[in-house]
Amino acid sequence: MSKKILIFFLLLFVATVGLIAGFWGVKKAKPQERNFTIEARQYAYSPERIVVNRGDKVTIKLSSKDVTHGFYLEGHDIDAKIRAQYPHFWLRHPSQSDEYEQVDEINFVAKKSGKFRYRCSITCGTFHPFMQGELIVEPNFLYPASVGLVIGLSFACLFYFYRKET
Amino acid sequence: MIDLFEKIPILKRIVTLRVFPYLIILPNIFFFYLLLFAGLFGTPVGNRNIIVVFVWILWWAILIAVMVPFGSRIWCTMCPLPAIGEWLQRMTLTRVRPGETIRGFKGKFFGLNKPWPKRFQNIWLQNIGFLILACFSGFLVTRPIVSVIVLGGMIVISTILALIYRMRTFCMYLCPVSGFLGLYAMTAKIALRRKDPEVCKSHRGVECYLGSVKGYPCSWFQNVCTMTRNNYCGLCFECVKNCDAGNIALYWRPFCSDKEIKGYDETWKAFIMLGLAFVYSVNLLGPWGIFKDWVNFTESGKWLGFILLSLAIVLLCVAVLPGIYWLFIYWAKKLSGNKEVSLKNLFIKYSYCLVPFGLLAWIAFSVPLIMINGSYIISVISDPFGWGWNIFGTANFSWKPFFPNWVPYIQIPLLLMGLFYSIKSTYEIGQNIFSDNKQLVRSLIPITIFLGAVTLVFLRLYVG
Ligand code: SF4
Ligand code: SF4
Ligand SMILES: [Cu+2]
Repeated sequence: MSKKILIFFLLLFVATVGLIAGFWGVKKAKPQERNFTIEARQYAYSPERIVVNRGDKVTIKLSSKDVTHGFYLEGHDIDAKIRAQYPHFWLRHPSQSDEYEQVDEINFVAKKSGKFRYRCSITCGTFHPFMQGELIVEPNFLYPASVGLVIGLSFACLFYFYRKET
Repeated sequence: MIDLFEKIPILKRIVTLRVFPYLIILPNIFFFYLLLFAGLFGTPVGNRNIIVVFVWILWWAILIAVMVPFGSRIWCTMCPLPAIGEWLQRMTLTRVRPGETIRGFKGKFFGLNKPWPKRFQNIWLQNIGFLILACFSGFLVTRPIVSVIVLGGMIVISTILALIYRMRTFCMYLCPVSGFLGLYAMTAKIALRRKDPEVCKSHRGVECYLGSVKGYPCSWFQNVCTMTRNNYCGLCFECVKNCDAGNIALYWRPFCSDKEIKGYDETWKAFIMLGLAFVYSVNLLGPWGIFKDWVNFTESGKWLGFILLSLAIVLLCVAVLPGIYWLFIYWAKKLSGNKEVSLKNLFIKYSYCLVPFGLLAWIAFSVPLIMINGSYIISVISDPFGWGWNIFGTANFSWKPFFPNWVPYIQIPLLLMGLFYSIKSTYEIGQNIFSDNKQLVRSLIPITIFLGAVTLVFLRLYVG
């Protein structure tokens, strides 16, 4: 077998392990309604991580414990402004408009799976640029798939070097 | 390997100009002092002050993702920090003053020109300095004034040292940036080397190292005739000016071509850098408020947490990570079945496996820095001091992540690339240690498991 063909098959092997591992992680779940109340403070959200399944109807209420914070949810066109001591907050969809509208909750259906971070979008103090939380929409295909790629690549390298001189 | 000097003759002509270093150092100094000014008199809000945004987002990302992997220590060519000290030593901008201040070396130098104590001629002080800075990194990257103190402090120390010790003693043995630049420069695409060893042998003057009327001695104490690694070559190009035989090349070579780790100081540098890539990923890119409280203890009041966290960071980098690595090395030796190989030798030589992966983990860490917080660059260039200016009309550009959904698709390939280069380099290093390929591959199994596990830790943080 020539070197090129061997490398081609090894890459194919790595990709296959990645794909298998990725789909391995997929669990079927019935769509549910999910309610979260997220409290912002300098410089974190609580809860810091929320996990839902694809297809779930997600409702999020936001509040702030100290100063004004933002809530920019990646991949969902959602950006909110949260003031301390208000029962409601302000929401906008950055792709549509820069204006905020007063709301009581955020509603969306989790259509895309993966890891999405929610970040503070309003400068709230020294650590503001690092203030963030995580929304996981299962199945988070990328994670098991990348684990599979690591395992596949490790085996492929060892196999390649093992064959090299024999 | 391509010799860039041959391929692009103008490049050689530029770097051998006597004024060359200042062509890039001077604008850099000017800009750097502007940053210090902003840090002192501008807004204390980090993400609105140009010093924090430019140094810790832009400069850092370019340094680690572009300059080091492609240009080796090209940063040191243009670094504004030691420039004043070096100028004081030479007392001239471009001319070489004739004379012999330091025995054997050409040129007249101002200052005491002492040699640096032998016992500190390693990078342990840099390791310690970098770890201490790392514990306070939360302040460094969020408080303009802390950046001023650290960067300004480096200018002051390097200048004082330049008057006491000879040449680039500060850069070689103290600059906290230097240690990791040197370590990761081993992976770089470019390398300055002598071409033909025979030419060096027949040429007894060693002007490249000792200096001549055309150029200063190597202020990094490197003899390019025998230099085999990028680690401590500051790419000042003086040796190119000195070499009459034109025997010095600037090679463009494959990644990770230098593979020899030479001592425990460099090995520990590799542990520290990898450990800190993990620590920063947790503290800065993670969602956990508790770590942010601890890192930011002056505001949160949680100084006990800060002390604990700092201890944990130091322990992780100097003991836990090395300990785990040692176990895998022990296993590698056992599994190889080779009794002659010494554990110490394997421990040091194989520690290069942390270098390519470490560099790529740092690059992966820096991806969100640019893509998420990069938009601060756009607003801050219009209002560098946070005084309400609007020079380019972009001051009110609101914060907006660039393609945040793409971040993991960039980070995963970077980490995989690091893993690949690390395994491959370890195999190549092993070829000089084991004569039997079977033994070599068996010794590689534990290392691969170790590297794979480290990769999974980063994947958990970035995409899990
Ligand atoms: S070693 Fe440090 S101070 Fe010296 S040139 Fe490089 S970065 Fe600058
Ligand atoms: S070997 Fe020395 S003189 Fe030559 S470029 Fe490197 S640091 Fe400069
Ligand atoms: Cu905030």
